[in-house]
Amino acid sequence: MSLLGAHSPSAIPGARFMDPVVLARIGNLDLVARAVCDGFINGLHKAPYFGASVDFAEHRGYVPGDDIRRMDWRLWARTDRYYIKEYEAETNMNFSVLLDVSKSMDYGSRGITKLDYARILTACLTNLVHHQRDRVGFVAFDSEIVEHVPPSAKHMDTILHVLDRLKAGRPGGRMREPLHKVAEHFGRRGVLVVISDFYEDPEEIVDAITPLRFRGNDLVVFHVLDPAELEFGFSDAQAFEDLESGEQMPVVPDAMRKEYVSLVNAHVGALQQRFSEVRVDYTLLDTSKPLDHALYKYLGGREKKMRLR
Amino acid sequence: MSFIAPLFFVALAGLAIPVLIHLIQREKKQILRFPSLMFVQRVPYKSIQRRRIHNWLLLMVRLTALALIILAFARPFFERQDLPVAGTGAREVVVLLDQSYSIGYGDRWERARAAAYEAVNSLGASDRGSIVLFSSGAEIALRSTAAGERERLTAAVAEAKPTDGATRYAPALKVAGSILAESPLPRREVVLISDFQRGGWRGEEGARLPAGSTVTPVTIAGNEDAPNVSVTAVSFARSAFSNQERVAVTAVVVNRSMRSLTGGQLALEIGGRPVQTQPLNVEASSSASVTFEPVTIASASMRGTVRAGTDALAADNVFNFVLSPAAPVRVIVVDRGGTGSAALYLTRALAIGDAPRFETTVRQPEAVSDDDLRRASTVVLNDVAVPGALARRLARFVEMGGGLFVALGPRASWPQDVDILPAAVRAPVDKTRGDAARIGALEYGHPVFEPFRAPRSGDFAGARIYGYRAVEPSPMAQILARFDAGAPALLERRTGAGRVLLWTSSLDLAWSDFPLKPVFLPFVHRAVRHLSAYAEPAPWSTVGQVLDASFGAPASQPLGGVVITPSGRQVPVDDEGGEVLELTEQGFYELRTKASEGAAAVVASNVDSAESDLTTMDPREIIAAAVGGPDEGARAAAGVPLPPEAQERSQRLWWYLLVIGILVLGADTLLSNRLSKT
Repeated sequence: MSLLGAHSPSAIPGARFMDPVVLARIGNLDLVARAVCDGFINGLHKAPYFGASVDFAEHRGYVPGDDIRRMDWRLWARTDRYYIKEYEAETNMNFSVLLDVSKSMDYGSRGITKLDYARILTACLTNLVHHQRDRVGFVAFDSEIVEHVPPSAKHMDTILHVLDRLKAGRPGGRMREPLHKVAEHFGRRGVLVVISDFYEDPEEIVDAITPLRFRGNDLVVFHVLDPAELEFGFSDAQAFEDLESGEQMPVVPDAMRKEYVSLVNAHVGALQQRFSEVRVDYTLLDTSKPLDHALYKYLGGREKKMRLR
Repeated sequence: MSFIAPLFFVALAGLAIPVLIHLIQREKKQILRFPSLMFVQRVPYKSIQRRRIHNWLLLMVRLTALALIILAFARPFFERQDLPVAGTGAREVVVLLDQSYSIGYGDRWERARAAAYEAVNSLGASDRGSIVLFSSGAEIALRSTAAGERERLTAAVAEAKPTDGATRYAPALKVAGSILAESPLPRREVVLISDFQRGGWRGEEGARLPAGSTVTPVTIAGNEDAPNVSVTAVSFARSAFSNQERVAVTAVVVNRSMRSLTGGQLALEIGGRPVQTQPLNVEASSSASVTFEPVTIASASMRGTVRAGTDALAADNVFNFVLSPAAPVRVIVVDRGGTGSAALYLTRALAIGDAPRFETTVRQPEAVSDDDLRRASTVVLNDVAVPGALARRLARFVEMGGGLFVALGPRASWPQDVDILPAAVRAPVDKTRGDAARIGALEYGHPVFEPFRAPRSGDFAGARIYGYRAVEPSPMAQILARFDAGAPALLERRTGAGRVLLWTSSLDLAWSDFPLKPVFLPFVHRAVRHLSAYAEPAPWSTVGQVLDASFGAPASQPLGGVVITPSGRQVPVDDEGGEVLELTEQGFYELRTKASEGAAAVVASNVDSAESDLTTMDPREIIAAAVGGPDEGARAAAGVPLPPEAQERSQRLWWYLLVIGILVLGADTLLSNRLSKT
């Protein structure tokens, strides 16, 4: 699948990241916040308030000032008391993508880099959410915050522009500082998506990401890795250079493949476990696999879980 | 074994290169950029094993290839001691005696013969001699005869006389080479007796004598200042005068000597009798043309001769030719007639032209008689419905060698059961709306369109075709032209001895404006010429040319008879006429058959006018080409062994070594590819 190739011409340069194949696949799904959201207008997501909807929530005693249209007259007839019917409010949400643009993301052994893959993922998710009338925002970070687009219903085009000019130029440090700084900006509850390759100790990652949940945000984590990082399919002995630190090291891949793969699997397993403990959705994405399938699987699974709730 | 360039062996030091490459080859320091080395452990770099030679076979192959190439550059050769040592042993002598007509200039022939006698007389007791007479070809008069039979050799020389042929040295040298190659005698000599005309030598032409042969040139020249004029060509201007055809003959006379000719006479003879004489004045080294009064062509195959007196070289003063009345091409145009006649443009086009002249008869389909068909060479069906009976007669006519041109229009039809057309005719295609059809692709290689091949030689695409008949080409048809939409416009089919051309549109203005275009007239002329297989008869041939024994006589006449050569010799011709006849004499060749009373056909034969040019060349040029160098023949004669360069050149071992070296390199590539895959 040519992720970057199959796009329709558009005035916005970043629109090339909106892969029609992915959009077609996930177009009939919704990304619904699992937690309640703070919003102003009606939407798909649960609001922390009661409001106007068809879902009955509870009865409450009448107090002067309540709208008498919401009085439950049948209950009055039975009990001779005034009760007000309250409904669950559904509102729109804030949706933000936090994208790691450290230099290690600029790696691709099979044509597409992890950053490009993540950009397509961002563009498609943002587009999906934008079409369900939610507010979209975007943050790019490496060792500090690189780009920040506050959530707004009108920021879709801005995000695409920002995505277009993003470059993975600087080495990423610890995720803790930029993410903690970002966490302060998200005043209203919503959905946050973190996309990174997570080259850090699992404990530190969880430590860096958990504060994002504190305000009641719904947190989704996408772990993007290249197949070469997962399988280590190199054959020739050569010097390897760390993209972030520039450090070089002679490597005989054949001799250490097994060990490497087991280490990576252990890292992924640890992340999976730690994230599930803190109720964060964790998904591993392999850039050699079509994004549409991976995303459809995730969103479809998430929708099913929401229905069960 | 010796070497021409032993210094190249220094390059053998280069053999160390592959060894060194094998030994010091390391993995290229490629750096692979990887997102993070977090999980990559440090492992010691293993390169110790690479210092050993892994593939001995590959190394050996490479070394062999390099060594072979270096050896080739050193140019090795085997020193041969068995080269003939001259001065000792018997000789094989080949006397090449020039008998081209230029040797008849002045007293050259006598001098040439004297030189031949001298060569024969110089033969020792154990020597052998051959006499080869040559002009444009070479003929062995006597082959490798012992010197004891000297009388036979001198008799062979005595019998020889100049011919009418031109000089060619290469065939003579080839014959001499074959005689020398077969000879067991140690010394091989060629005595080349000639006037060494420049025109007789066209480069090497593969004439090479065996190694160690010598060539002794005997130049018969001098007296070039004697007057020498030659008649090189004649041209004819035909005209009609009171129903008779007349021809004005113009002759071109070239004076090749350094002396101008004044007060000469140029005579025109017709049928052997002088009819006119014109004064002839030609400057030195220049030419003049002389035109005679028109003469009437009284009979077929009228013989004419232009004669420019006599001089030192008499043979080229005579020029023979044959004139026949221009035979018209008879064409029958089959048209529906009446007021709606569509043959106007066609008949007007055929009325123009006199080379050949077209004699057109217009007939309605039912009026075409057998006599018409017998006389005609081409029939044009111009948009007519052809009845079955006429179609069958036309089929027979084409089978016998006639030509048929079918122009399709709205009314044209052809009976299904007579299969000679190149295509089956279908419904008309109307192009009056929208863009008209144009003639797109033409088969320029075909004789009909050949004159239009060059740029700006006729634009067929200019014609607008508003209607044509769809056709279904038969497998035997060749499509010569197509409309721009791809539909066939002109198709040809050969049937029996004749041809059929099918033009899918009309030849009038009903369906196209083609008849108004400049290409229409040449197109019609070419098509009819092609169909009637018209060929302009050549008025003369040149000595040395080969003709088929029918002389181009009409195929309908039974052959079988004799050809009488100018010298009166009779050459029988069988009924098939399959034999060929080489023209060897100047004059008129006559074909007499049983059927004809007099001569059935006459061919005029002239000497090659290039031979009149007596400019000489350096004989060493010929010797150099024949024996490999101007000195080598002399060297072999003197018994001096050839220098190393010459020996090496004759062996050419370097060539084989280089080829083997390159092949081994190719094998190395294959081998290393295979090894790298495993």
